[in-house]
Amino acid sequence: MDPVVNVIMVLLPLSAGLLVLETNPYRALVVRGVLGSVAALLYALLGAADVALTEALVGTLLAVMLYAVAVRSSLVVRLGVLQGDLAQGGGGLAHLMTALRQVLGQEYVQVEWVPYGELEALQQALANQEVHGICLCLEPEGVQMITPIQRLYEILQREWPLPLQLEYQPLPAGGGH
Amino acid sequence: MMLLTVVLWGMVGAFLLPLYHTARRRDIWETMLALSSVATKSSLILLLVSVIRDDWMMGLVGVITLSVGNAGFMLLAHLLRRMGQSGDSSLG
Repeated sequence: MDPVVNVIMVLLPLSAGLLVLETNPYRALVVRGVLGSVAALLYALLGAADVALTEALVGTLLAVMLYAVAVRSSLVVRLGVLQGDLAQGGGGLAHLMTALRQVLGQEYVQVEWVPYGELEALQQALANQEVHGICLCLEPEGVQMITPIQRLYEILQREWPLPLQLEYQPLPAGGGH
Repeated sequence: MMLLTVVLWGMVGAFLLPLYHTARRRDIWETMLALSSVATKSSLILLLVSVIRDDWMMGLVGVITLSVGNAGFMLLAHLLRRMGQSGDSSLG
């Protein structure tokens, strides 16, 4: 066999190993693209043009896109806040967001605010599992955070850098999750 | 034909560089750069091999990979840019 094909054949398990050892999901997506390119090249060199074309189109393009959408939609923590608290521009929520991104960023999770008009709507959203937790600004200062997700509570309790009133409030039985 | 084989070995050597860069964990944009480099280089290797072997089928695969690969790359880059804007520190 052509020695060039042998060299490229070695690259396939090499790039697959890189993909398996990658811990960051976003970087893993990019490395998946690299693996797809190497695989398509090798398949074509070995004479399987149809397989190579399928790998290039589906493996590299479609699979990466679908995984990107999956990672984007699953690795996000949505936190409900009151519109009034956000509009005040209080340092409390801004500091909280910075600290949350720092702590949860290590787990490759992103944070989003979901504003609600009234306190009742906020608590209803928590009960309906529309959000993963709610944050309330306390008087005179400080932030209270309530989450029904045990894992989130554990991570925040373990690595929290700011003083924060954190509360774990499991959902009533039969609530799903 | 001898010259083309030497060029092919050179291209395979150049193909190793972005792969090495992928292994080093640095900025995600540098990994994207390595991805685009790998995608283009693999298509060009395919085109060269198709010329050497006089095989039109492989050349067609190379051309399609070269032209379609960029669309997926742009979509992925757009997505990553949106991630960066929403403030994920792990991407910086």
